[in-house]
Amino acid sequence: MATRRTFLKLAGLKLAGAAGLAAPSLASAQGAGRVVVVGGGFGGATAARTLKQLDAKLNVTLVEPNPIYTACPFSNSVLANLREMSQQQFRYDGIKAAGVTVAETSVTAIDASARTATLADGTQLSWDRLVLSPGIDFDWGAIPGYDEAAAQKMPHAWKAGAQTVLLRQQLQDMRDGGLVVMSSPPNPYRCPPGPYERASLIAYWLSIWKPKSKLLLLDSKDAFSKQRLFQDGWAQLYPGTIEWVPLSKGGKVTSVDPATLTLTTEFGSHKADVANVIPPQKAGAIAAKAGVADRTGWCPVEPVAFESTLQRGIHVLGDAAIMGAMPKSAFAANAQAKVCAAAIVELLAGRAPPQPLLINTCYSLLAADYGISIAGVYRPDKGLLADVPGAGGVSPLGAVGGLRGQEALYASSWFRTITAETFG
Amino acid sequence: MGRLLLPVLVLAFLSGGPAQAADGPPGGPPGASSCTGCHAPMKVTDSVIPRIAGRKAADIVTFMREYRSGAWPSSVMGRIAKGFSDPEIDAIAAWFAVQPE
Ligand SMILES: Cc1cc2nc3c(=O)[nH]c(=O)nc-3n(C[C@H](O)[C@H](O)[C@H](O)COP(=O)(O)OP(=O)(O)OC[C@H]3O[C@@H](n4cnc5c(N)ncnc54)[C@H](O)[C@@H]3O)c2cc1C
Ligand code: HEC
Repeated sequence: MATRRTFLKLAGLKLAGAAGLAAPSLASAQGAGRVVVVGGGFGGATAARTLKQLDAKLNVTLVEPNPIYTACPFSNSVLANLREMSQQQFRYDGIKAAGVTVAETSVTAIDASARTATLADGTQLSWDRLVLSPGIDFDWGAIPGYDEAAAQKMPHAWKAGAQTVLLRQQLQDMRDGGLVVMSSPPNPYRCPPGPYERASLIAYWLSIWKPKSKLLLLDSKDAFSKQRLFQDGWAQLYPGTIEWVPLSKGGKVTSVDPATLTLTTEFGSHKADVANVIPPQKAGAIAAKAGVADRTGWCPVEPVAFESTLQRGIHVLGDAAIMGAMPKSAFAANAQAKVCAAAIVELLAGRAPPQPLLINTCYSLLAADYGISIAGVYRPDKGLLADVPGAGGVSPLGAVGGLRGQEALYASSWFRTITAETFG
Repeated sequence: MGRLLLPVLVLAFLSGGPAQAADGPPGGPPGASSCTGCHAPMKVTDSVIPRIAGRKAADIVTFMREYRSGAWPSSVMGRIAKGFSDPEIDAIAAWFAVQPE
């Protein structure tokens, strides 16, 4: 055995410089393939599973505190009673079956130089590569008056689960003729078209059950994703129901009062019957603890393997990372995770990973049978993921011939597909 | 290079590792792993997005080029295909063609 190990090591040294054909197996033979994945969402769960698929000999541990993952995509449809909460929930059985060790706990500390991750119970895991996909945390305090307690009165529902159920309940309890007020955050944030899909689907639900009600959408921006498509759809489907107030017209919420459900902007105050405050965001808290978040609160990465530019050996995926032109979406997190997993297999083998190409597509529903999409194709350019020129874009304006209905069907097909690929 | 050949072969034999290294980069050629977000390798019930795993490479190439030029109408594929060159499409099509149908 000693002889064989020595032989493998020697061969490995020689192979490192010459694109050796069997090098990935070499890494596994040496046992140098311990990967810890932090966070079992679209990024982390996909990364863990793909790593095992690409190299069954890797030792992959996924750390995630929740036994059941609640997916955000399509959670706006739950608000509109178009879906059950149970359809948003996924277990980790498929990930375990793929050979991943799942640790049902949190990572509390990461030491990049010692290459360890500390779990909530104090256990230390050693790693050769660490993948961080912790999603977002809220910048509590960015809006005076909006803290975790306030979120029980004015739900954000931007992490799906109890908050989604709370907001749905508040809508159902509201009187007909009530005012729903939403607050949309400044860029960057999780799911750029998400607030506008939510406004659409709440309006859809109101139009059926509380037709005298209105929705006021206060925005910290002057422009938003798929704006023309949304605004055309609102005018056609829900005339007079949704009023969008951009930044320049006083849309930015400067404080809230949860006791009276009041949202204050630079231009005045709005008293809501139901208030949905989507606060400013940053990378999940563990990112800052690991030293991979910069002053913006997000994590800079290189565009090939998504390795942190601040700490070697740590890869950051999904919402937490600064991915250049690629938006923060479940589609993107899943696509990045597959690229990252393949790159890690190469890196562990001592080879440079290839230049990737990635796609993102975000579907949004404006009604049960009315879907629109935005797509993009991305490649590394000057240290960032950049749009491939000429590709991507949004669904055509003024579309006829059932295209919106078709895209609504493709949207739900996409959700079934990506959750099957991610969770098995 | 000639001196390295022997260890390479021996290693491949000893480890019995995954074969992907011989077939190209792990996880497929650039872009392929993003296609599977909509065209999954496994069968997905209730998805109306067409399956392409195991399809003839030439058919996938034809579809992609026609989506790209606009000759074949689509909801989203035209916007996606415009991001891929001929060689990139050829590599992705060849990869999907050998995935289990
Ligand atoms: C209303 C809404 C609608 C959306 N619609 C769409 C859509 O239609 N299409 C789309 O593509 N995207 C959509 N998104 C965006 C999508 O949900 C996110 O982009 C996606 O979840 C990002 O994946 P992630 O892996 O980065 O983070 P997450 O999916 O949030 O996963 C992070 C995981 O990390 C875990 N974690 C955090 N810290 C730790 C720690 N210290 N230790 C261990 N585990 C930890 C968390 O428990 C969580 O499970 C939507 C989002 C919202 C809010
Ligand atoms: C956002 C989801 C999505 C992504 C990502 C995607 N496709 Fe598609 N694909 C579709 C849809 C939807 C159709 C049906 C045509 C349409 O409306 O665009 C389709 C159709 C096709 C077809 C025609 C199949 C047939 O039998 O009609 C091929 C081939 C194809 N896609 C290849 C690809 C390749 C290759 C990639 C990656 C480069 C890719 N697709 C990425 C959604 C997607």
